[in-house]
Amino acid sequence: MRIIIIITFIGIFGLFLIAQIPVAITSNEVDAAVTDAIAQVVNAAEEAGETKPQIDEDEATKTVQLAIEQLESEQKRRLKFLYAAYLVIWLAIMLYVLRLGRQQHNLELRLSQLEQTEPNSQEEAAE
Amino acid sequence: MGKSIKILTVLSAIMIFFAIYLIFAYAPMEKSMLEIQKVFYFHVSSAFIAFVAFGVNFALCIMFLIKRKPQHDILAVASAEIGLLFCTAVLLSGPIWARVSWHTWWTWEPRLTTTLVMWLMYVGYFILRAILRGETRRTFSAVLGIFAGLNVPIVYHSVNIWQAASNMHPGTNTKYDMAPTMKLTFWFTFLAFLSFYGLMLFLQYRMGESNLRYEAIRQKQLGEM
Repeated sequence: MRIIIIITFIGIFGLFLIAQIPVAITSNEVDAAVTDAIAQVVNAAEEAGETKPQIDEDEATKTVQLAIEQLESEQKRRLKFLYAAYLVIWLAIMLYVLRLGRQQHNLELRLSQLEQTEPNSQEEAAE
Repeated sequence: MGKSIKILTVLSAIMIFFAIYLIFAYAPMEKSMLEIQKVFYFHVSSAFIAFVAFGVNFALCIMFLIKRKPQHDILAVASAEIGLLFCTAVLLSGPIWARVSWHTWWTWEPRLTTTLVMWLMYVGYFILRAILRGETRRTFSAVLGIFAGLNVPIVYHSVNIWQAASNMHPGTNTKYDMAPTMKLTFWFTFLAFLSFYGLMLFLQYRMGESNLRYEAIRQKQLGEM
């Protein structure tokens, strides 16, 4: 029983780690994405026969980078709370199961003590 | 360990494991609360199991007072204990969710307050059992169990009874536009917890019966001496 609880506990956090790790976006990835996006906007304008838009690539990269950092820090905060909520529920269940195991052990101990005293009391009665 | 207990243990473990997989890998992300909404599956399922457990305790307390069978008392105590465990889980996980969603750890709104009162009443139930002995303990705790059980519908309908401005929980009549995958995940988690509740109830009952037998032998021995 305890082994199953511990395996499930490890499993939970394994799944948690697999499913919930926020995807960290590197600055290189941001640069590449912004360059691609600007190129797409320029191409679309050219195809439509419009004037070529003037976009400052550095400013655009900085803005996107800042937005991503804000989103990531908010996500990390939410994940910390999510982790804490699952941890307290699981700890409550684990402590309860462990307590149940200890109670079972104590009961078995008392029963074996009773079995030992029973023949003694019978012997005493015979004497 | 009996075969049925082994089967129930393995079944519960698999179901809980799969429920966690559904929560994190299958259910979609809720758009307004994002990741923290995933607390909902364990939090609400725990609350429902606490309601089921306290409801079972209520019914068994009545049965005990009518039939006076110690088995009803054993089962009632076991169910109340598991209910208290899940109610504690609700009261611990709720504030963590609230801190992110409502920007506060605790607020004295109807659902939270009545849940805390219910929890305190069941703590009182176990304090009473620890103080008293024998038939007096069974009778008095059965009466308190009935009173405490009356809290369950009050907690559930508290959001409708006290329509306070401070009410943070949605009403029981609220129609949710929940995705079918979210519904499936929630009900599966509830079933997984229900099987765990069944397993714990079975184990506690067996242990309670052994305790009763032990006490009977002990009393007999003391009488012979």
